[in-house]
Amino acid sequence: MPVLELLWRALHALLALRRAVGSWLRGGMRAWERWNSALALAFQGARRNRRRSRAARCRSDSRRLRKLPLHLGVVVADEEPSYADIANLVVWCMAMGISYVSVYDNQGIFKRNNSRLMEEILKQQQELLGLGCSKYPVEFLNNSNNKVDQVLTCPTTVKVLSPDDGKEDIVKAAKTYCQLVAQHQRRSNDLDVNVLDSLLRGTAGLPDPDLVLKFGPVDSTLGFLPWHIRLTEIISLPSHINLSYEYFFSAIQRFAVCEQRMGK
Amino acid sequence: MSWIQEKKLHLAERLSACVLKVGPIPKHVAFIMDGNRRYAEKRQVERQQGHSQGFEKLAETLRWCLHLDIQEVTVYAFSIENFKRSKEEVDGLMELARQKFTRLLEEQDNLKKHGVCIRVLGDLTLLPVDIQELIAQAVLATQHYNKCFLNVCFAYTSRHEISNAVREMAWGVEEGILKPSDVSESVLDKCLYSSGSPNPGLLIRTSGEVRLSDFMLWQTSHSCLVFQPVLWPEYSFWNLCQAVLQYQMNYTAIQKAKDLQVADCKRRQAESDRACVLELLEQSPSGNVEDGQLDQNQVQQYTAEREQRVTSFLCALEQKRKKFLSDLVAGCPPFVCS
Repeated sequence: MPVLELLWRALHALLALRRAVGSWLRGGMRAWERWNSALALAFQGARRNRRRSRAARCRSDSRRLRKLPLHLGVVVADEEPSYADIANLVVWCMAMGISYVSVYDNQGIFKRNNSRLMEEILKQQQELLGLGCSKYPVEFLNNSNNKVDQVLTCPTTVKVLSPDDGKEDIVKAAKTYCQLVAQHQRRSNDLDVNVLDSLLRGTAGLPDPDLVLKFGPVDSTLGFLPWHIRLTEIISLPSHINLSYEYFFSAIQRFAVCEQRMGK
Repeated sequence: MSWIQEKKLHLAERLSACVLKVGPIPKHVAFIMDGNRRYAEKRQVERQQGHSQGFEKLAETLRWCLHLDIQEVTVYAFSIENFKRSKEEVDGLMELARQKFTRLLEEQDNLKKHGVCIRVLGDLTLLPVDIQELIAQAVLATQHYNKCFLNVCFAYTSRHEISNAVREMAWGVEEGILKPSDVSESVLDKCLYSSGSPNPGLLIRTSGEVRLSDFMLWQTSHSCLVFQPVLWPEYSFWNLCQAVLQYQMNYTAIQKAKDLQVADCKRRQAESDRACVLELLEQSPSGNVEDGQLDQNQVQQYTAEREQRVTSFLCALEQKRKKFLSDLVAGCPPFVCS
């Protein structure tokens, strides 16, 4: 019926409008914040000092929290990737003392441009934290496939993930196990959750993420590490583009107050 | 309290349902029905009371889903982790299950009338034997109905399900039906407890928690996730409409991501088939492989053989599962309507 269709379209137009106004307001707010801080800078001068204080602020902020995620997953869902903003976010995590950060998008864009992201992170790291490589050494590790897999090893390990690390990784583990069965080295009944988990841990090399920050307009994890997100808190933020520290920190705070009952 | 409710929707609800149905409707919706105990605390009633009201809400929600043309619903009723709760609460939940599955068997005519197929997903062997038998009876009695589907996840976790799927494939290899190289995303998909269902388009979790708690991790990798703050016993038709609206707003983007994933799967399968043919040729004494030059016919033939192996494996698996249920039913006295 055309009337119903009209109503449906009007409803969705309204919702789209609400979303657009929301993102427009956020953009305005951020511009305002930047403008304000630029103004403050003009009075104080010393850009370097401000940056230093940002790093100090990250550290003092993280000390105030009841808990920090051990592994933070960043999922960019259906958004044009902005390397500078992701690098910023990663560097905030470093300053806060988060041990593992993984960055994911479902098209594998970050993985294909791994080196670009890593360079950007290095740049921001030096700029924001004002620390040379001596204190936060950077290593480029090769994994067994000899594919150049760059892992930034500081106190924080950064890893870029794609759908290949998700379901495909489970399939690979299953294949490996089935081969062992075919060679009579294992029996099918010996496989349980722990055996499969240890097979999968070998490939990802990361602990299970305890927090996922999902950016973008799509409400889905789009294939991000299905096995590993069993107990992960999934917090959605509208966009990673021009992400402000305050916004990021509010998400970390939300995580810090979450209680898990573990089935009980 | 019955599983099927006949009540009609109010006018406003009916109108809203009609408007929503203009857009895409998820074929399959999964629920994490969280908040029964917090509801009981809030209302200062017994925990068990909270759980019973939660069940009533489930029956009501099923009715709403039918009105919205949602044909399949999966609910997380009891996790393997829940066995860790106090004995009193676990016993209470088992008693509730006993009552509800008995009730279900009493309502068979009603289920037939509405064409409701009931499936129970989980590791049944972890349950008391009498509940296993009740479940087997209910599942077998409704297995041919196909108008709507209700999957109850009971003694379930997703990791357990995935591990079980891998174990089944390993069993296929042991039996010589399957080759290790035949293992793929789509075969694993069909070894899950949920093999008969499309992946849920929409996952709803109530009570404001924002995690999946080991529920359908594999199947919801591309689902629209909706976390709603309302406690499950207070869930309303409007909450459901809101979730469906959110699904509709996500529809195009998620569809695009799914297409991408399907294309990836096909590419991987084709690559794997080529690699297998190459390996076979290298092993055969007469095989002289010119670099990268593979006979298209050989690859096609291999693909057909692989598909044949997978089909017979899945048949064997299906039979094994049916036999498990019918053995359970054979072991217990026939159900008599009281």
